[in-house]
Amino acid sequence: MEIKKFILRRLLEIAIIFFVILTILFVLFRLAPGDPVARMVDPMWTPEEVEHVISQLGLDQPIWTQYLYYLKNFLSGNFGVSFHYGEPVENIIWDRLPNTILLFTTSTILAALAGVFFGKIAAWRKGRKSDTWMTISALVCHTLFVPWFALMLVWILGYKVGWFPLNGIISPEVWVNENTNFPMKALDVLHHMMLPLMTLFVVQMGSYLLLMRSSMLGTLKEDYIVTARAKGLTEKVVRNHHAARNAALPVITSIGLSLAFSINGGALTETVFTWPGIGKELVFAVGNNDYPLAQACFLLIAAVVLTANLIVDVLYAYLDPRIRY
Amino acid sequence: MTLLSVENVCVSYRTKNGVLNAVDDISFGLDEGRSLGFVGESGCGKTTIGMALMGLLPENGSITQGRIIYGGRDLVQLSAEAMRTVRWNEIAMIFQAAMNALNPVHRVHEQIREAILAHHPDTLQADLQQRVEMLFDLVEIPRERMQDYPHQFSGGMKQRAIIAMALACDPKMVIADEPTTALDVIVQDQILQGIKTIQNRMNISVIFISHDIAVVADVCHDIAVMFAGQIVEFGSREEVFETPIHPYTRLLLSSYLTLDGERPEPIAFAAKTPNLITPPSGCRFYEQCPKATQACENDPPEYREISSTHRALCKVVD
Amino acid sequence: MNILADRIHLIERLAKGWAIFRQNLLGKIGLTLMIIFALMALASFFTPFLGPTYDPMTGVDPEISHATGPSWRHWLGTDFIGRDIFTQLLEGAKIAFMVGLSAAFISIVLGTIVGMLSGYLGGVMDTLLMRLADMIMVMPSLLILLLLAALFGQLNIWLIVLLIALLRWPGVSRIIRAQTLTLKQRPFIEAAKVAGASHLRIIFRHIMPNVLPLSFLYMTFRVTSAILVEAALAFLGFGDPSQVSWGMMLQWVWKTGHMFQAPYWLLPPGICISLLTLSFYMLGRAMDEVLDPRLRKEEHSG
Repeated sequence: MEIKKFILRRLLEIAIIFFVILTILFVLFRLAPGDPVARMVDPMWTPEEVEHVISQLGLDQPIWTQYLYYLKNFLSGNFGVSFHYGEPVENIIWDRLPNTILLFTTSTILAALAGVFFGKIAAWRKGRKSDTWMTISALVCHTLFVPWFALMLVWILGYKVGWFPLNGIISPEVWVNENTNFPMKALDVLHHMMLPLMTLFVVQMGSYLLLMRSSMLGTLKEDYIVTARAKGLTEKVVRNHHAARNAALPVITSIGLSLAFSINGGALTETVFTWPGIGKELVFAVGNNDYPLAQACFLLIAAVVLTANLIVDVLYAYLDPRIRY
Repeated sequence: MTLLSVENVCVSYRTKNGVLNAVDDISFGLDEGRSLGFVGESGCGKTTIGMALMGLLPENGSITQGRIIYGGRDLVQLSAEAMRTVRWNEIAMIFQAAMNALNPVHRVHEQIREAILAHHPDTLQADLQQRVEMLFDLVEIPRERMQDYPHQFSGGMKQRAIIAMALACDPKMVIADEPTTALDVIVQDQILQGIKTIQNRMNISVIFISHDIAVVADVCHDIAVMFAGQIVEFGSREEVFETPIHPYTRLLLSSYLTLDGERPEPIAFAAKTPNLITPPSGCRFYEQCPKATQACENDPPEYREISSTHRALCKVVD
Repeated sequence: MNILADRIHLIERLAKGWAIFRQNLLGKIGLTLMIIFALMALASFFTPFLGPTYDPMTGVDPEISHATGPSWRHWLGTDFIGRDIFTQLLEGAKIAFMVGLSAAFISIVLGTIVGMLSGYLGGVMDTLLMRLADMIMVMPSLLILLLLAALFGQLNIWLIVLLIALLRWPGVSRIIRAQTLTLKQRPFIEAAKVAGASHLRIIFRHIMPNVLPLSFLYMTFRVTSAILVEAALAFLGFGDPSQVSWGMMLQWVWKTGHMFQAPYWLLPPGICISLLTLSFYMLGRAMDEVLDPRLRKEEHSG
């Protein structure tokens, strides 16, 4: 089946890119000023702990051997120990990953759906007031400065009207209580997720709306739209079943392309809301000079971005029969 | 029996530079089971007529004058909803296959079913299936190909699929807009023969639009030659071919060769379409006409009846 | 080659372009906003004349040493150590323009060169360069900068500009490459080759002038992302501490816990970042319409 070959080829490409990123990171690590050993080793540890980590990471070996150790460690999941948390890094990142995925995937999917829906309507009503308003609003949303918008939401909806909590993912009181069952816990997480979700949703929706709108405007000029009208189909069917169905395809590709940008936004949002995800950990780790954690977070995000790109590509191949057959 | 009667129809487009009169005072009739060909170069208005008949003019286009009488009703006056029921059900269209006339993301048989369901929503699945199969048989496409997507079809097959789709609702009239352009000659011939056969078998009236007079002559009973938005000559195939009156018709005919018969003397000319936003007050063909006189420049010509079925928009030639 | 005719032709094209631009609502709004911000940036050069009280970084008002609201003395109020917010805002405008324009400029220079080389030379070079471009495009620039900050310590503003440019050139290069590929087929390139022009000469003398308008168009979009990335970096605390950028201002509001009490401090920098980005984006879209005839409102042909 064509798709299987396609996926395998892309997986190979991703593996190569990832490998290149790993190598570059290693080179930078060695090039950076200061003592590489000190970067991976917490001065507060006992000499035995220091010894242990040094030998594990091969920091006392010549460069080529070190590189091999580096790769081996990475592939076996050993990222070193976080200074700040005092725990092996792998525990931390696997704990945080689901939170990021939850927030990011939900906001991207909702934003894409909303963007496609409103972009379709805006293009259909091109030139009219509703279109002008939608386009300008989308433009404003698209260019909002994410952390500032996040702060505004926290201030107005969190602080002033108090509808939502100001940060974090859970209210400890809820979870500590033995009587709370799963739905209540889920609701608590949802409650905390609302503001960061809104931040990411609004900013991303603007982009998707603009994209869908211009894609739709192009699609509406196509000949098969004339055919559809000629067949006597209602305007709604022409718009949704014929035009939008085609116009949505480039938007899906762009979800992949704009991932880099939206992950930036995601990291900023997580930081402002102290949402315990990989992005927030990266920022905090850099601030705390916790290099092992920072490096691991970065690599994990790189892996996530590459995988997400693959998923989007497969989705596109599935939706566009010209690629599948 | 007259199926369609077009009376003094004018179509214009609002453009940045002014109002463009694409079609000026067109009148013609089409009987049941007959085919009429519109011939002319690009910009002469033939496609506009097709679109106007279907009510598919773009945003900036409108029928500013005249009546289109079909089935006892004036199509120009119909509401959008009423026109929607006429489209495809009564009057269908065959588009150029080289264009993107079929939606690339839907299977071909779905697009045909859609047309049927739009007008007969209560059709049963089994009947739909049967009808699609029958249509495919009619245009000689293997039934297994029904499930395919448009990009998997060859050019000729796509054209046949488009024809099948046009016949889906059993229309009384079909408008074919350049259906053989961009196909190679052999396929072209197949399609033309196919159209002729279908037309005879199902007694459908056809309006055939083309820039190629040879193609039109093959398929159509009557021919309308168009230039700059006007019908400059109208007659039966024999009349127009054997006794062309209008200089433009003569020029068109001279530029193609027949396998039999004498080779007429080719006359080289490059026709320039006159400005349709501010059309000349006299004959529109004046600039390029080899037979033009001084009177032609300022006085608009009128139709001369050469016979009850043959007329030409020229006052000079006999 | 008739130079005079070329020049006249160019002026005609510019005039026509301006006429189209003027009709575009987005372009007008974008241009107006940008002019306002440019004036703000220019004004920041004159604030030293107001005296040391108003220095954005070290300005200390003898009477105020905490955050206060707008007043006659301080139009937007003061920050947590009594510095005037309005002058900070002006300074931020200057920095935003500086960072945005230089990063964008460097990245389109790089992107154009890479795009032209890649499109013109083809083959292995092309594949390598485009693979590199893909890789860079896929990675989130902010996070790369963060990691670099972790490794190399505090980054100074010009280093930040350079790094942003290094991360942003791929977008331009793809487009320039596509354009180069089309141009490569044109007869005038063949003619130049036959006349014995070297590859370098062809690239710079013949291809580059045709490709430049596209480069400049995409510069506007580079500016928007450069401004946003620098602001984000400053916001997180990894910007250049000696520069008062809008992002830095937001960092101070946030870190000193004044977000809820000082709207006069929280609102202006954020609004400015968004509006300046918006204005460049609108300009870019309007220019897009000027350069790409397909996007303009069309005339109909019968």
